[in-house]
Amino acid sequence: MAEKRKYGKKYCKYTEMKVDFIDYKNTELLKLSMSERGKIMPRRLTGNSKNAQEMVEKAIKRARHMALVPYIVNTQAVTDPAHIK
Amino acid sequence: MSKLKHYETMFILKPTLTEEETKAQIELVKANIEKNGGEIVSCDDMGSRQLAYEIERNKRGYYFVIYFKSPADAILELERNYRINEQILRFIFIKYESKKEVTAWTKMSDEAAKKAN
Repeated sequence: MAEKRKYGKKYCKYTEMKVDFIDYKNTELLKLSMSERGKIMPRRLTGNSKNAQEMVEKAIKRARHMALVPYIVNTQAVTDPAHIK
Repeated sequence: MSKLKHYETMFILKPTLTEEETKAQIELVKANIEKNGGEIVSCDDMGSRQLAYEIERNKRGYYFVIYFKSPADAILELERNYRINEQILRFIFIKYESKKEVTAWTKMSDEAAKKAN
């Protein structure tokens, strides 16, 4: 049998917060669905509703175009000590 | 006259401009919108902020948002004007069409107007 789940049930954070429109300028909302590297997290990991996922995808893509949110975060550049550069 | 639709535009100005020059550029964009039959509802000045990635070797940019109503065929002309202007790094036009989107638009423009006052 399948093991018991370690974590609580996934739920859509946007539905919980009663957000009916996700604005691309509101980067705090977008970060809920982005990985540390700036990727858009899939629905199977975040538990977003289909409706919210579609809105957040569109908003993240717009925000990326306007340089509000990065396309990708280069962790190497962050972790490298300053003397190497 | 064609029907007015709800739009939002955001653009990034170069960080090297002086305060007066940025103001002049913003006025230029506003004048362009009005010249093409649009009416500006509210503006949101987001100020100079860090870009998420470098654009044309600039690390910062001056963000400005305008909420406006305009006929659909004017957008092409506005876009052309943005492309000619060398002081603008990036721009975006967003159309709010469905009922849900229009309510979101009115809410955001109200907030922007409140912030400006």
